[in-house]
Amino acid sequence: MSDSFPAPAAGSFYPRAPAVPKKSKLDHWVERFTTLPRRRLQARPTRMFARRVLRHGRRLTGLSDAELQEEVRATAHALRAADGRPREALLVRSFAVIRECAGRELGLRHYATQILGARAVLNGAVAEMQTGEGKTLAITLAAGAAALAGRRVHVITANDYLAGRDAETMRGLYARLGLSCAAVVPDCSPEERRAAFAADIVYASGKEVAFTFLRDRVAMGGRAGDIGLRTRAYFEGSALLLPGLQFAIVDEIDSVMIDEARTPLILSVPPADAEVEADAARAAHAIASEMKEGRDYRLDRLRRQVDLTAKGCDRLEERAAQLPPAWRPAPIREDALRTAISAIHLHRRDEHYILRDGKVEIVDEYTGRVMPDRSWSAGLHQAVEAKEGVEITSRRITLAQITFQRFFRRYIHLGGMTGTATEAADEFWSVYDLPVVRIPTHKPPRRRTWRPRVSVRAAAKWARVAARARALSAQGRPVLIGTRTVAASEAASAALTALGVAHRVLSAAQDADEAAVIAAAGRAGAVTVATNMAGRGTDILLDEAARAAGGLHVIMTERHSASRIDRQLAGRAGRQGDPGSTEAILSAEDSLLAEFGGRYGRFMARLGGPATLSALSDAQRRAERSHIRARRRLLELDEQMAENLAFTGTPE
Amino acid sequence: MTGSLHSATWYRVAELTPRLRSHAEAHRSVFRGAVWYVIEDHASGAYLRVSEAAWRIIGLMNGRRTMEEIWRAAAEALGDDLPTQDEVIQLLIRLHRSDVLHAAIPPDMEQVVQRGRQDDRKKRLASLRNPLAIRVPVLDPDNFVRATGWLVRPFFSWFGVLLWLAVVGGGLFAGLQNIDALHANIADRALTAGNLLLVLAVYPLVKAVHEMGHAYAVRHWGGEVHEIGIMFLVFMPVPYVDASASSAFRSKWQRAGVAAAGIVVELFLAGAAAMLWGLMEPGLMRAAVMNVMLLAGISTLFFNGNPLLRFDGYYVFADLIEIPNLGTRSTQHLQYLAQRYLFGIKTAVSPAMAPGEATWFTVYGTLSLVYRYMIMLTIMLLVAGMFFEVGLLLAFWAGILLLIVPAARGLRFVLASPRLEGHRLRALVVSGGLAAVVAWALFVQPVPSATIVRGVIRAPETARAVSGADGFVEELLAQPGETLAAGTPILRVTDPLLDFRVRQMDARIEELRLRRFNALASDRVQADLVAQELSLAEEERALAIERRGEQIVTAPVAGRLLLPAGDDLVGRFVRKGEALAWVIGSEPGVVRVVIPEAKIDLVRRHIDAVQMRLASTPLEPVPARLTRGTPAAVPVLPSAALATEAGGPIPVDPTAETPLTPVGTVFVMDVAPADGRPLTALGERVSVRFDHGPTPLGAQLLRALRQIFLRDLNV
Repeated sequence: MSDSFPAPAAGSFYPRAPAVPKKSKLDHWVERFTTLPRRRLQARPTRMFARRVLRHGRRLTGLSDAELQEEVRATAHALRAADGRPREALLVRSFAVIRECAGRELGLRHYATQILGARAVLNGAVAEMQTGEGKTLAITLAAGAAALAGRRVHVITANDYLAGRDAETMRGLYARLGLSCAAVVPDCSPEERRAAFAADIVYASGKEVAFTFLRDRVAMGGRAGDIGLRTRAYFEGSALLLPGLQFAIVDEIDSVMIDEARTPLILSVPPADAEVEADAARAAHAIASEMKEGRDYRLDRLRRQVDLTAKGCDRLEERAAQLPPAWRPAPIREDALRTAISAIHLHRRDEHYILRDGKVEIVDEYTGRVMPDRSWSAGLHQAVEAKEGVEITSRRITLAQITFQRFFRRYIHLGGMTGTATEAADEFWSVYDLPVVRIPTHKPPRRRTWRPRVSVRAAAKWARVAARARALSAQGRPVLIGTRTVAASEAASAALTALGVAHRVLSAAQDADEAAVIAAAGRAGAVTVATNMAGRGTDILLDEAARAAGGLHVIMTERHSASRIDRQLAGRAGRQGDPGSTEAILSAEDSLLAEFGGRYGRFMARLGGPATLSALSDAQRRAERSHIRARRRLLELDEQMAENLAFTGTPE
Repeated sequence: MTGSLHSATWYRVAELTPRLRSHAEAHRSVFRGAVWYVIEDHASGAYLRVSEAAWRIIGLMNGRRTMEEIWRAAAEALGDDLPTQDEVIQLLIRLHRSDVLHAAIPPDMEQVVQRGRQDDRKKRLASLRNPLAIRVPVLDPDNFVRATGWLVRPFFSWFGVLLWLAVVGGGLFAGLQNIDALHANIADRALTAGNLLLVLAVYPLVKAVHEMGHAYAVRHWGGEVHEIGIMFLVFMPVPYVDASASSAFRSKWQRAGVAAAGIVVELFLAGAAAMLWGLMEPGLMRAAVMNVMLLAGISTLFFNGNPLLRFDGYYVFADLIEIPNLGTRSTQHLQYLAQRYLFGIKTAVSPAMAPGEATWFTVYGTLSLVYRYMIMLTIMLLVAGMFFEVGLLLAFWAGILLLIVPAARGLRFVLASPRLEGHRLRALVVSGGLAAVVAWALFVQPVPSATIVRGVIRAPETARAVSGADGFVEELLAQPGETLAAGTPILRVTDPLLDFRVRQMDARIEELRLRRFNALASDRVQADLVAQELSLAEEERALAIERRGEQIVTAPVAGRLLLPAGDDLVGRFVRKGEALAWVIGSEPGVVRVVIPEAKIDLVRRHIDAVQMRLASTPLEPVPARLTRGTPAAVPVLPSAALATEAGGPIPVDPTAETPLTPVGTVFVMDVAPADGRPLTALGERVSVRFDHGPTPLGAQLLRALRQIFLRDLNV
């Protein structure tokens, strides 16, 4: 048995896993046939273990609360004494103790399958447990055991709301175990943050932990060595927010580590000279407005480039005094002018960007969607703002950046749970060295999948969705309509309203209200429209009438960019042996086709019927591949940069 | 101006206050009219070449200015030459990699250690990647070279040049003078087993002197040599020195001089050896001297001095045309050309930086690529032939590295490289098209395929004048070359015993006749018996007389008489049935060809046309036809002229009891001229070409490969 709770190196002040040497392609290939099967075998828990825990648990039921408290203390001592390598019997004992505490505190005792899942997590694997199997509760076994053994445990959740909710729910259980538990609230003060991370078990979203880590690294100022840290901590009082990255259990691990891993996390601050920069952008715009095409510059519309002529350069030199001093050197002022000209002539309002509430918002070239959070780089955003005469937002200066891929590898121990991991098993292994282990369901699943229906026109699809919802709701079954975007939710809602079906719409606000709505979505006859992200981590509980009517029916109105996400949505129906069904109602006008269909796929889709269906599946596969590629590329770039720029210290 | 001036990763370096480490030293040099700076790290012996603009940025690094300030200052100073932020970051990375950057911040030690490990691993893997050239550094010769420098210093002067010219010229003269003797010696001895041992002994010595030449040259112009070691080139230990210090020399002539020093020294050795060889008596020393001459002279000219291979000649060449790193950049340029023009990637960047470089890259890249493949193939075949199983394995490995790995790499580039985004279809079509052309040339387009074997001319069966009896040749009745009618006596063979035999039989007959007469009277039965005996004796006598008649050998057909043995025949004892003379009449002779086992399959399978060339008239191809259809295996060669000892193609087993027993199985076939011309020069060697009709080249190669495996490995 490998280490269940690998210890940080002795005396390390900021424990985290050392950067492992980059593996070559050959290494990866060889390990697929050597290490991976072995790790999979090691990580797979045996049913015997669960049986032993249950048997041991029966002995504990008779104990009084005080005796149980004593038992908890004894177990914790034994675990610490085991020094990261507890024997099987000790693990059985600690699991049983935690289970008993959960039973007394929450009224819930872990099922055998939850015990198996927690064991797989301790073994450093991704446990694939079906939706509704009680992952939140299962995690307490692993988190509790690790925390009792003296490790600092981070339970990473998909969003901040879930972190707060789970911490709240489980706090009593942990308190009974003598462990402190805290959730990280976004936008809290450093002191609060430090206090939260000081708890034995911390619930936080992946973003929060990663940003906290980045802040620490920037605060360290490149001195990553332990001696440097110690000195700093001594002289400045412990300025660090995180006490290291020791033991992470990731809930919904695929959404945290894979879906969100496509963009790096960037810690940035506004520059000190923001005002000067705004002046420069305005001045450059003023100069650019005086220039004439042909005489002063030439436009290459195809490549979207601006070339200054010699005359234009001279004219710019005459007017250079209008620019702030730092912008006056020839190459810099010419760059600024080119950007300004490009903003005037090559970027058109309502085509490349829109103005909303005095802000410039970018329109995605391929999808036509507005991307409010995005901004152009290298001064272009400011130039466009100067052109539109709106307030000039300041450029942000990057302090540090890290990808989720590299961040999570820094944990000494990593494990996770999700409902859908098999599709991404390769990526889990090659990026995070995590094997995937399937955990059986507590009760046999009773979810049925209906034949998918396709139509050529989107309007026909929505009509069909609404009709289906009305019919089923009339039968007393609750219906969940899953959409990909907020716009699609609106379309679905419009179609339902047209048919006079009462329904509730959820967008991905990720707060408590939403969870309440989702929880109510299981009432008989309820119709709920929700984007996929909405209410993740909250179970839809069926009432008796709904269960009798045949359980929840999930309608997928689009294929998502990964079949995994489709499965997540489908998993909302038929949880824990409930009845349920799921179906896909699609159309050839779905946005996935527009983005990933390709010319041939779009043509085939218009034929309708099976051709559309196969075109949609094709587009989905293509999307999956392209996202995998994008993530791999991001990781490679990140690793390469870390290697090349090693001489600049360790900002992340 | 392409690319943005600003970089997204600038934040990592903006606040750094770097400077060059104090042990780094810069040298200014001019390449193709442009000024470059070579930064030398005395501690690690690494060299880094940077452009003038980059050097000015380095010049601003004083350990107090931040990179942001430096970049702003450079923007004012350099104007349009200002490198982009990305380029500046790249410069810092290169400086750091060469360990000459002091960044005032402790580096990320984990990453640094990791990089060190990776480099180590790469080095170890490199020897695995190329098992035919493994480097093992041994010692630092700097002190030795310093201490003994005075010994060679006089040679770096006009005196040295004159001496060198004298010796090399003298050697050349001596060599030309003895060209015939030399030639004979080389042909006889160069590749014999004993001589190979001698070569093995001499080669490292010659190379050691060669390397010391480099080392002293570096020392003479002020550089230092810190590594000398042994390289195993095709398992042959050869010394090498690290002469990279010369890259800091300012004058290109000095740089080229260092690279050329090895060749100069070897040619000197060759010249001296040639002169000695002329003076020495045959013996071991003379053989050694000849090997020195061959190795130092020929190997230098063909290998070391050849700019197409990455040996000394390459460095001399690259220094003289002022293009450092010519080979690597040529390859990059070829890749650029393929990406730019075949795949249509407009953003591909050529490594050419100075005028004229692009042309050099194209020409040199193409030539060296072709040449390198040729040399590698030759070495592969040689090694495979010399060391059998191990050699075959090595050749296999080299083949994988040479053909499969580049192909796989190219494939991966075309299929998966992000640089081809947006051009992939075109890249796929173009590479697919190229591959299809190659495949077509290899496996579809037929090329002539033929087997060329040797044979000898044999007279037709009917032309043989055969001795009818055992006996001594008494006299010639016709002269060789005479034209005879059929039945004309050619020579007479006498068997002295035969006359006595007739007389003996005469006596016996007489005896029997008397006995019969006697018996007739007394016993008729007895008389009958004797009579039968008598008739037997008379038959015997008739036979003996007939045989006496056969002692005249006559012409079997009308034609010209050929008597290979001539007058020597007279007085010789010949056996009955022995061919004594040939009469070449209207029927032409045949060519009996010998086909080694390896080639027999093709010959047996399909023959389109047959053509022969006589050794006497090699320029005139004679169309021919097969006279005996199926080839037959024979235990003995039909003529000694076909054995290797007589210059033929078939090796003969000297241990066999029967003379002319070939090693391995051979087959014979008979071929005759199609136009029926007489082949009179019996025993003349003939080269016969069996044309199998056009077959694709790939199929031919595959079958040859298959046969090699069958022969050497029995698989």
